[in-house]
Amino acid sequence: MNLSKHQFNRAVIFVTLSLLVVVMLFPFVFMALTSFRSYQQYLAGSGFSLDSWSTLFSVLPVVQELLNSTIVTLGAVLIILVVSTMGGFAFAKLGYPGSTAVFLLMVSGMMVPVQSIILPEFVNVSQIGWINQYQGAIVVYAALGAPFATYLMTTYFRGVSTELIEASLIDGASYWQIFTRIMLPLATPALVTVAVLQFIQIWDDLLIGLLFLQTPEVRTITVGLATLQSSRMVNIPALMAGSLVSALPAVVVYLIFQRHLVRGLTMGMGK
Amino acid sequence: MSTTPPRRNHLARSRRLAGIVFTVPVALLVGGFLAIPMVQTVYYSFTTWNGITSTPNGVDNYRQLFADTTFWQVVSNNAILLASIPLAILIPLIVAFLLNEHVIGWRFFRSVYFLPTAISWVVIGMVAIRVFSSGGLLNSTLAMIGLSGIHTDLLSGNSTAIIAVIITFIWSVFGTNTIIFITGMATLDREVYEAARVDGAGAWSTLFYITIPMLMRFIQFAFILTVITAFTALFSLIFIMTQGGPGFSTTTLEFFVFEKGFNTGVFGLAAAIGVVLFVIVFGIWMAQFRVFRNAND
Repeated sequence: MNLSKHQFNRAVIFVTLSLLVVVMLFPFVFMALTSFRSYQQYLAGSGFSLDSWSTLFSVLPVVQELLNSTIVTLGAVLIILVVSTMGGFAFAKLGYPGSTAVFLLMVSGMMVPVQSIILPEFVNVSQIGWINQYQGAIVVYAALGAPFATYLMTTYFRGVSTELIEASLIDGASYWQIFTRIMLPLATPALVTVAVLQFIQIWDDLLIGLLFLQTPEVRTITVGLATLQSSRMVNIPALMAGSLVSALPAVVVYLIFQRHLVRGLTMGMGK
Repeated sequence: MSTTPPRRNHLARSRRLAGIVFTVPVALLVGGFLAIPMVQTVYYSFTTWNGITSTPNGVDNYRQLFADTTFWQVVSNNAILLASIPLAILIPLIVAFLLNEHVIGWRFFRSVYFLPTAISWVVIGMVAIRVFSSGGLLNSTLAMIGLSGIHTDLLSGNSTAIIAVIITFIWSVFGTNTIIFITGMATLDREVYEAARVDGAGAWSTLFYITIPMLMRFIQFAFILTVITAFTALFSLIFIMTQGGPGFSTTTLEFFVFEKGFNTGVFGLAAAIGVVLFVIVFGIWMAQFRVFRNAND
């Protein structure tokens, strides 16, 4: 009797969790189903058609925008990885007078909301002449992502034994060699975590792209999609097709690297 | 200094030098594109600024801002968001508690719940509009379950649009918070649960008297993360769903900066809003550090 009550409870939990799956997956199902209908079929509520996909490709330079997103995202992630591993190594293992203060300043960069710097940032970058240039958005994304990445890398490198470094020094290795041959290979899991977190964040961002990449030639897919929405486009199936296309790359990255994302989340808590 | 042998001294000096060299790239990047703009924002908040020329005007921007009823409406929108956070914590807590029972398929459930983490606010907003609109899915669902008497049009109401934004927001952070709590529960000692069960504690009393108190550190972390997200990361969602409207009913401080700066063109005033936002966010972080320190004592 007791056992069946236990089983009943577990069944209730299973059903509850399954209902939640429906709620959480709903947007994806809605996007996919809607995108394979023409506008008329969408209004009618049935049918299958590829019309909306061809509409999407005619109103939005999808391929170019996906390429732009890729260039901007990968460029920024690469810069973040380079500066955060170098900085993390220095803060964790190569202390110098004032390094703690520099580290704390760096970490406090995590607390700066984008909106609080966006106006001077925009003015400065336009004075350099980098508006509507990939490098403008790349450098801004990199600066926004670097503090958290540096914090994670510093925490990670603190766990590497100092004896290992000293032994290599005695063997005549330079700091650069220690960094590239010992520290970086050891840090691979942390590097993947940082890369995945930043990839998703930058790929999904709207604000920086909206301001720094305004022309269709350099626009990211997220910005392209947002402009369709704000142009009051009524063809909902085409909008959903666009949403699906823009979401897919980040979802794929998520599915492959899910575990690293979870680790990044908990690493943010410190130990 | 002079007491250390010359070789050690040399080693220490080259280590310090290397440390400085390795810090330079990140310091230049963050200094130039984060620290300097922040200082500039503070400076320009005390000026009349159109993006090109600026003239100092003392505290005029702040005086104007604090006298503006729209500003206080915006602040109260932030307060409404804040008031919704307990729900964004409690629902994931309960679900994590259920997931922790490890029923069949719990790993799959966990992955699905976490999925919105990968989706942009733009895409989420796009779908959300279709859910909440007059002819949308919320109404057809209500009709389907026999509640056709209730017809909602949340997005076009002055007082209801923010409810639609909040529901969407809670949906989006649900997975992240659930993962945080699941991770936390995995660190708890299972023997405590067994002991509670032996003592005849029910599921609810286990949740509220054992799990939640033991998870306090994780709950605080999730709370801070959710507040920071609500205050600094909802721009795109609001941009897509409501453009801050109707009126200013869904404009938060972060959206107000954009609105005053890039739409209205009063950069000095927008900078002052940016400073207010920074002070609030900084205060939340500081409060969190204090809470953490006390908890660790």
